[in-house]
Amino acid sequence: MSLSKEITISKSSVPKVALLVLATIFAFGVFEVGFDQGQLFSIAFGDQAYADMYIHELTHDMRHAAGFPCH
Amino acid sequence: MRTSLFIGIILLAGCSAGIIHGLVNLVLVEPYLDKAIGIENQHMFASGEAKDNPQFWAEYYSYRAWQKGGQLLSGAILGMSIGSLYGIVFGYSRNILPGNSFAKKALALAAIMWITLYLIPFAKYPANPPTVGDPATIVLRETLYVAFIAISGFGALGFYQIYKRLKSRKMVAFIGYAGLMGAAFALMPQNPDVITTSMDLVNGFRAVSIVGVSAFWLSLGLILGVLWQKLQPDKVKQSKFQ
Ligand SMILES: [Zn+2]
Repeated sequence: MSLSKEITISKSSVPKVALLVLATIFAFGVFEVGFDQGQLFSIAFGDQAYADMYIHELTHDMRHAAGFPCH
Repeated sequence: MRTSLFIGIILLAGCSAGIIHGLVNLVLVEPYLDKAIGIENQHMFASGEAKDNPQFWAEYYSYRAWQKGGQLLSGAILGMSIGSLYGIVFGYSRNILPGNSFAKKALALAAIMWITLYLIPFAKYPANPPTVGDPATIVLRETLYVAFIAISGFGALGFYQIYKRLKSRKMVAFIGYAGLMGAAFALMPQNPDVITTSMDLVNGFRAVSIVGVSAFWLSLGLILGVLWQKLQPDKVKQSKFQ
């Protein structure tokens, strides 16, 4: 019988990398859908982004539907 | 734990549940949004801010199409994002959650997070359709909403720690959480905006909004549970570690 037979065990710890990746996705996604008023695109397009608010318009209906404060 | 499989199934579950949420919203919530925005348009015509002409309606329909299409995309983004938080908590709590299978445990956690992060905050700061919110109070409203969710979420975590340490009368932890939320309910200021539009519209919107978010949490729990059960990202061949 081989010593390396496949016994499965439940390894409990959440990998640090996974924690970092998932926490980043959580913060970024909630901000974009729930709160962005032009901040993300202002990195590339400057102040015009605050007037256009593309992300705000795109996520607008979900923002209301999911219960985030809006207009 | 296999890192990429762990992340992969969480994002897949979140994305799918988010798209389901978006679809439910397209069918149930959009009619209310159209109605509310229609009222806003009438206000703009009345005040002279906009003119009721073909050019207005052409622009209106084009950005409403953009916003409606956004339901699905933002559903996917929000789904992956909330799903990530849920996945982290599931990763840490799966061995202590009630249920004799990962599918049941995943549903149990989805129910707990649905109640603490959505239902209880909704009772204090319910969703509103367009035309209700005053742009001047948006930062205050966002702060209150996030603060209330944080109190509820961290409160639940804190009282869980107490629950674990209690040898008997574990109900005390639930009563403690209820007391904390009762205090937050009573002490935190109300949403400052006055509702001037019809309450029928507002209540109808709130009802379908709850249906959508609840469909999201239910789908998230079901999908992650099934994926976890099938793919078992935490099972590793022991031989690797010898
Ligand atoms: Zn709005």
